[in-house]
Amino acid sequence: MTMFNRTDKPADTSAPDTARVQTPTLAPEPVRPQPVSQPVTSAARSSSTGVSLISRALKITGQLESTEDIRIDGEVDGDVRGVSVTVGNGAKVKGTVYGDAVELAGTVDGKIEAKKVVLTGTARMTGDVVHQDIKIESGAYIDGHLKPEFGKSDGRSKTASTPKPVEVKQPV
Amino acid sequence: MSTFSFRTRPKASEEKSLAISHLSKAVTVNGVLDTDGEVRIHGHVQGRVNAERIVIAAGGSVEGDVVATDAFIEGRLNGRIFALNVTLESSAEITGRVFHNTITVARGARIDARMPWRPPNYFETLDQLPETRE
Repeated sequence: MTMFNRTDKPADTSAPDTARVQTPTLAPEPVRPQPVSQPVTSAARSSSTGVSLISRALKITGQLESTEDIRIDGEVDGDVRGVSVTVGNGAKVKGTVYGDAVELAGTVDGKIEAKKVVLTGTARMTGDVVHQDIKIESGAYIDGHLKPEFGKSDGRSKTASTPKPVEVKQPV
Repeated sequence: MSTFSFRTRPKASEEKSLAISHLSKAVTVNGVLDTDGEVRIHGHVQGRVNAERIVIAAGGSVEGDVVATDAFIEGRLNGRIFALNVTLESSAEITGRVFHNTITVARGARIDARMPWRPPNYFETLDQLPETRE
């Protein structure tokens, strides 16, 4: 019965007509205003904002700063400053990573200063981690101190004071 | 559909799929960018850029030397380009020098630069950039 119902419906709306209407709407769909010059132009424009990506093949020697998110899969020899910074598996940073949220799956040789820190199982951290909130997954390698002091030395967060764990780390 | 089959040109440039790095407009880099892939700059770079292919997008700017096989400039560059193939789009603003083998300049590009032609082998030996003779 269901089979008949299905065939009935298109028959009501006069199947050949709808088919004819659909084909022309489908055909002009692949309109590509691209063949202007190079495909780079449109591709570059489409991604002018959002996450910055340091690919596996890229090495930066120097400072990298952003007021948006950064994902690093390559190598940075210098400080990194961003909002949300992700250091991917295989990536390497030699310097300080500052951010609101830092996720580490690669290697950092230096320091992390962030409100929220996540060290995944593949993380390799040599140096101190200054944080307010930290998550460490099994397998992470840490050679350094973990200090829940993010924002303490900072004037602005002192005035904006959220309840801080005052010297919690010492009894530990 | 057959009309769209002449998409050979984009294909030719896409065939080598390079690792693409992307610096958004919120990014500032102070230093050297070094890659054998592609780098797309929407932000600001102060320093040298070595890449197989560089794109300085509209709004992006580089202050320094750029060494690449392909350079595609829509933004601003204050420095020198050493690239086999150079494309300067209409929104480009160039100050400095453009060493090239082939070059395309769109109408409207603002260029305050010398643009010396060089043979292909010149670009193969660019480990040491020539001194600036300003």
